[in-house]
Amino acid sequence: MADLVPSRIEVRDLTLTYGHDTVLDALNLPIPRGKVTVLAGPNGCGKSTLLRAIRRLHTGQKGQIFLDNVDIASLGAKDLARQIGLLAQNPSAPPDMTVEELVRLGRYPHQAMLQPWSEKDGVAVNRAMDGTGVTGLKTRRIGSLSGGQLQRAWIAMVLAQETDVICLDEPVNHLDMAHQLDCLDLVSKLNQEDGRTIVLVLHDLNLAARYADQLVFVHEGRVRALGQPEELMKPELLAEVFEVDAAIMTDPVHGRPICIPRGRARAAVQELA
Amino acid sequence: MVSTLAMSPQSQGLRLGPVQVYAGLILLLALSMLMSLTLGYKLYSLDQVWMALFAHDGSEVAVVIAGLRLPRALIAPLAGAALGMAGVMVQTLSRNRIASPDTLGLNAGASLAVVVASIMFGVQSLAGLSLAAAFGAFVTAIVVFGVAASAGGLSPLKIVLVGVTFASLSHAFVEVLLTSNEAQLQQLLFWLSGAFVDRPIALFYNGLPVVIVGAVIGIALARALDALQADDSTAAGLGVPLAAVRGLAFVAVALLTGAAVSMAGPVAFVGLVVPHAARRLVGLRHIHQLPAAALFGAVYATLADVAARFVIYPVEAPVGAITAVVGAIVLLVLLMRRAA
Repeated sequence: MADLVPSRIEVRDLTLTYGHDTVLDALNLPIPRGKVTVLAGPNGCGKSTLLRAIRRLHTGQKGQIFLDNVDIASLGAKDLARQIGLLAQNPSAPPDMTVEELVRLGRYPHQAMLQPWSEKDGVAVNRAMDGTGVTGLKTRRIGSLSGGQLQRAWIAMVLAQETDVICLDEPVNHLDMAHQLDCLDLVSKLNQEDGRTIVLVLHDLNLAARYADQLVFVHEGRVRALGQPEELMKPELLAEVFEVDAAIMTDPVHGRPICIPRGRARAAVQELA
Repeated sequence: MVSTLAMSPQSQGLRLGPVQVYAGLILLLALSMLMSLTLGYKLYSLDQVWMALFAHDGSEVAVVIAGLRLPRALIAPLAGAALGMAGVMVQTLSRNRIASPDTLGLNAGASLAVVVASIMFGVQSLAGLSLAAAFGAFVTAIVVFGVAASAGGLSPLKIVLVGVTFASLSHAFVEVLLTSNEAQLQQLLFWLSGAFVDRPIALFYNGLPVVIVGAVIGIALARALDALQADDSTAAGLGVPLAAVRGLAFVAVALLTGAAVSMAGPVAFVGLVVPHAARRLVGLRHIHQLPAAALFGAVYATLADVAARFVIYPVEAPVGAITAVVGAIVLLVLLMRRAA
């Protein structure tokens, strides 16, 4: 299947170090076009670093990242920003900024230095706000929004960037359950309706399995396993990567695998080692 | 037309477009400059001002107006505009609404340069002292920027911490130098609190091009500065070259502050107060924030200069004392609001 759908992004032998710590270790990863890829793994496994490296926010790396067979190192900053959008982890902006002012920031890579605001910019901003349901909030200050509204405003900002690839770093971190689903349904809609390539970092394994077309387990700076959620949600693999002893069932509503952890899996880890 | 109104960032309070705001501020500026020409130790009529400016007859009145009132009526708004724009950029760069050129140590650096020039090199002329001030602000900017950058990245907090450290250091040196050289204390003290009085008009002509260059850099960076209001990852994700934008904006801040200090001395807290007013009037986009801050800063400094003539009439108060009091009140209100 991977051969039929050419990869949108190809990570090859990526090594990334912070001082003496190797965060990513000769990591390889294909990211298929028009699919939702979810990066999952325990704390400190390097999944957020990998996402940021794909958006070229980390320097001093060995290895290459190809976007449609072009090394992203050769692309200009704005050029890359027109192709890959990023919703950072816990993004921040002044609380008195209005929703519309925030969403307009997404147009930055499309504008030359003194080029006036164009009709195209306005259309993109309105479409982004419509798509995320924040049009009614556009004159509100972001400091006055609820957590769910705020996250939708941020997603609108990334949408206004009109990139075909969108990276989201733990976008549902501080949201309650309803807003987590709200946010991920929105991301899923962007993928299904507009065919955008989505790369997500998610902490919650059940959410990851529910929304991923391709699930990736990152462990100790390497890709330990990748494939469809059904292939990855196996007790042995979860014990090794997440150190949990878990039962796997099938979600009766969505037909996706869900895991129910029984406890930590020290024994299982020792056995595998 | 509907969209212009809807696009106005003001959800509460004023619902004015930027154009109306600019028009209003320009009107206010013209009025306050007229006040600056007519009001003072002596009151002059509009006729006398008109005569002095456009039909100089060599009379004493004309000499006072053209030689004393006119320079300050031009220098005050220019210095205010420069500090207002510098304040906007400093607050955006440091992502800190209580930061200002003062917090970056630029005013303090300028003061130190003036005191050193005066005491150690015997510089007496105002032109010499103002050159020293601009030099001091500029060197401080480079040093603060350099130290913050070499201490591992130009984080907003780091810039402010380094700035405050250098400000205290400069103040300490100033006090030591002044205490050990009492003879020059009186002369320097007036300068050190900032004033627009007794300035030759040449300072205005020297400052104007520098302020224009600083303003042009700011406007050219407007969109990048908008994006820099968000966190670094977001800004970088949008394709903003963070280091280049910060570096250039810092140059603009140094030029603007240096020009202001060279004309008026360290007029405290103008750069702190003005950006808040500008944002309330036109929102957070720098393409409007900067011009609004320039205009509001010009009005504010001119009115403060007029007020300085009357608070301890018939003696004139240093305008820096007036702006320091207003600034301190605004700062307290901001801090209390943040705490609330």
